[in-house]
Amino acid sequence: MSGWRTRRLMVWVVLAMAVLALLACLRWPGEEDRSLERVKEAGVLRVGLDASYPPFEEIDQTTGEIRGFDVDLARELGQRLGVEVEFVNSGWDGLYDALEAGRFDVVISGLVYDPWQTDRVAYSISYFNAGQVLVVREGEEDIAQISDLKGRTLGVEIGSEGDVQGHELRKRLRDLDLRAYTAPDEVLQAVQEGEVDAGLVDSISAYQFIRAQGGVRIVGEPVSDELYVVAVRLKDKALLQAIDAALVEMRDDGTLTRLIDKWLVTVQQ
Amino acid sequence: MANLHRAWTGIQLLSIALLLILGVRPPQPLVTLGPQRHVETINPKIGVHTRLTDEVEEWKIKRTLEMVREMGATWIVEYFPWAYYEPEKGVFDWSHPDMVVDHARRQGLTVVARLGYVPEWARPQDSAFSYLDESHYDDFGDFVYAFVSHFRGRVQYVIIWNEPNLGLEWGFQPVDPAGYTALLRVAYERAKEADPQVQVLAGALAPTLAPPGDPEGMNDLDYLQGMYDAGAAPYFDILAAHAYGWKFPVDDPPAADKVNFRRVELLREVMVRNGDAHKPIMVTEGGWNDHPRWTKGVRPYQRIEYTIGAYELAAREWDWCLAVIPYAFRFPWPARSYQDYFTFVTTDFDPKPIYRQVQLYARGERGAEG
Repeated sequence: MSGWRTRRLMVWVVLAMAVLALLACLRWPGEEDRSLERVKEAGVLRVGLDASYPPFEEIDQTTGEIRGFDVDLARELGQRLGVEVEFVNSGWDGLYDALEAGRFDVVISGLVYDPWQTDRVAYSISYFNAGQVLVVREGEEDIAQISDLKGRTLGVEIGSEGDVQGHELRKRLRDLDLRAYTAPDEVLQAVQEGEVDAGLVDSISAYQFIRAQGGVRIVGEPVSDELYVVAVRLKDKALLQAIDAALVEMRDDGTLTRLIDKWLVTVQQ
Repeated sequence: MANLHRAWTGIQLLSIALLLILGVRPPQPLVTLGPQRHVETINPKIGVHTRLTDEVEEWKIKRTLEMVREMGATWIVEYFPWAYYEPEKGVFDWSHPDMVVDHARRQGLTVVARLGYVPEWARPQDSAFSYLDESHYDDFGDFVYAFVSHFRGRVQYVIIWNEPNLGLEWGFQPVDPAGYTALLRVAYERAKEADPQVQVLAGALAPTLAPPGDPEGMNDLDYLQGMYDAGAAPYFDILAAHAYGWKFPVDDPPAADKVNFRRVELLREVMVRNGDAHKPIMVTEGGWNDHPRWTKGVRPYQRIEYTIGAYELAAREWDWCLAVIPYAFRFPWPARSYQDYFTFVTTDFDPKPIYRQVQLYARGERGAEG
């Protein structure tokens, strides 16, 4: 084949590839994302949850209603989207399947961001971090982060994630003395009374103890992340964008902080 | 000179050929079965449910089973999905289950195989994985025959289906003890045809207090009686039981209106009433969960005490119980939900405190250090 023919063929190949790439970028008319419009037209946001995780979602034994942090969060989201909210109580193991099957529009259920599920659902920004936090006594100024624990005593709940992480920390922090307790409240009580220098517990337990009893405070960044998020179907990008925008608003105007204050005080009566 | 040049060219070609041969030689296996090992334990009824079906890497399969042995467990239950191993009717691929079973046996473990999960070719389009029409019972029987034949002498226990008293596990159809009994009969006969020594486990019922007519499921005690009424007795050697403790301690007494660990004793009563006192029970799933906030969870220290208590109870008082096999040892990836709080080791193989405590118990050292 002569040189000019080869060059002409190459030009056609490149052009064909460019056209194909352009077509791939174009949206098929029938695939328009109407997820947000659909919710607004229906006037209702259907929220899937498993009401077995107080204080985020649980059945109120007196009224039989579902209540909790996530319930209030969902109602707030609904308000900002201009729709009512309908709750669908469903077993945890089927939440993602039911979302995909269209039984509800979103899942708000103390759902932790899971990279393994990102081929089937899309996640919002995080609205709460339930990871492990370091807690010290009020007035303790020498411990501001994990590295300050050298030669100190650290309380953990036996068998908990804090216990596992405490053992990991002991491998790299010289003379860290781990003390085990049977519940997070016992760990925090020990911190408050000076029995240990610090405690490693999940943030929800820490918040509840601080509000209920005080005398301790959270220091530094969370030691581990357990990010609570809202899930939507993978293709419902418009709905996700609206939810993200509403969550940013709620963070900036103090709504999320108010929800933490309301629900993480202690177990609701 | 020309001859020398030709000889040199020949040497070069030969070297290239040798390099190519070495280059394309199949890589040698990096993971081997290793020497035959044996479980050292004071309680031979200790078991644990593994989750290796979706574990791809062989070293992880081997490491999991090594850790099971090192914990002091003798038994494992593992799931062998029909759909995975017979993707087309009559076409079998045993490479992955061979790997799991061979590693387990090399670690000295006894494998209990749970069979289920209907392939797409054996059910209507868009139906659930647990949907099996009666017209395809023989197809399942063929799979059971093939499985038991293939693993003859290596797998001596097979569980037929899982929790058929739940709608979810019965193709979202109304649950049907007679229907399950019909399936059990087919599976039992084909299993025995393949290997008369194989032990067939029935039931694996979900403990539930579902009221009559509940579309989600049927009370397990009623369902078992329904199986006997449908003539199930000749078609199983052992009853598989699921024993979840939820919020209750291990010694919480059984009651018909309560789901707790000792509910297994009520299943036993149903068996005795129906003339099956001679048959054993195996707890093939169960245990406690220590999720910090799940309403059915307990504290981690309670989970440790109750789990060890369950092993002890079976050894001390349940002479009709072959093994206690709680759910689950390790997940191939984190579930990022309450399910993670059933496990004994993390996905990264970090032992949880419950692992170390069971290990101490199995070594008879817990009194001193536990």
